[in-house]
Amino acid sequence: MFSRPRPAVGGITPPAVAPGGETPRLRIVDAEVYTDWESVYRDNVARLYRLLYARVGNRADAEDLTSEVFSTALPPLRLGASKGEVRSYLLVTAKTVLASHWRRRLGLPVTSIDPDSDIGYLDDRPTAGASDAPERADRILSALPDRYRRILELRFLEACTVKEAALAMGVSLANAKVLQHRALRMAAQVAVEMGL
Amino acid sequence: MSGRRLWAFVDAVAAGRRPRRVRADPEDAALLRTAIDLRAARPGAGRPGERFVDDLHRRLADRLAEPAAQGPPPRSHRARTALAAVAAGAALVAGTVAVTEATDPAAPAASRPPRADMLRTGTFVGADHRVLGQIVAYHGHPGWVFMKVAVPHYDGSLTCELQSADGSVVAFGTFRVHHGIGQFSTTIRVRVGTLRGARLVTSSGSPVASATFA
Repeated sequence: MFSRPRPAVGGITPPAVAPGGETPRLRIVDAEVYTDWESVYRDNVARLYRLLYARVGNRADAEDLTSEVFSTALPPLRLGASKGEVRSYLLVTAKTVLASHWRRRLGLPVTSIDPDSDIGYLDDRPTAGASDAPERADRILSALPDRYRRILELRFLEACTVKEAALAMGVSLANAKVLQHRALRMAAQVAVEMGL
Repeated sequence: MSGRRLWAFVDAVAAGRRPRRVRADPEDAALLRTAIDLRAARPGAGRPGERFVDDLHRRLADRLAEPAAQGPPPRSHRARTALAAVAAGAALVAGTVAVTEATDPAAPAASRPPRADMLRTGTFVGADHRVLGQIVAYHGHPGWVFMKVAVPHYDGSLTCELQSADGSVVAFGTFRVHHGIGQFSTTIRVRVGTLRGARLVTSSGSPVASATFA
């Protein structure tokens, strides 16, 4: 618990200070700051959208949620905060907005945002901003039997309808549906086992 | 979720359509999450359209330019926004809020969005300029402070000192760091608006990091 500092009398010592008794000067933590809301928006809108798209999988919801995050986060935002602080703030706002979305849509949190591990979507490192979805999908698909992998590739990655997928695989429409169901169930099991 | 609704949801995801609102069962979560993962991995997916980016920019500009006299947005939207804003602001150090709420009956209810002067944030930076954590102070009755630090190869206690504008220490508290990771949250009874920064020191008084509140 926080306490108020007390004077060094009666055996009670004040809070620790640096050796030598000199209190070090506080440094300016980050020279890069946002000076207006438009900078915050322009610098982060695509990154935030990409993260939300990876968590909902469709453009309409990703757009709505991105809008909600900025509408929520920008009005109370204190300009002059460092980039890192603002991005952390956006990220935790996105976490809250996404959780609310899934409560409304399905009643359970299908996907979520972890401000610690997802900060890479928003930072300035060379690899930042890239979606982790392709890597996750690749890991899942590579663990499946060939036919299961193929039907999921056709449906989810190559934008085929079930009918088109059936034609591509040389099976009936009914068989393609059964194949997709079984493949997706196995993929989900694989994802859980991989901790994805 | 019934089989038909489950697969209707999956088909919507595969087609990139907005799925309908349904009530899902927990055992469906992994399957739905996998479908979303696969769809989001489609080449070229995840780039916002220019039109959307420009439209949202215009809407935000309109909203931020609105004078307060024009009145608040509709109540339901405002309430949702307020809850999200408080939760987001308070959860800058995710995971700490719930612990504190569970142990502190005086925890403030999330009912209004924080004003700019109510929420102060800072980044802990070590002597080598490495970022070691974050701190958030929230002005309320009582006020709150949350922090999360990652100090490589450190095990032991750290003392956090809150400093006022004139550099004096107005409050301090100690918490444990295990395997380099430590979190600390508690109520405070100082005026958050007067705080200048915070610093972390070891039990021997050696400085570890400092932060300046934005």
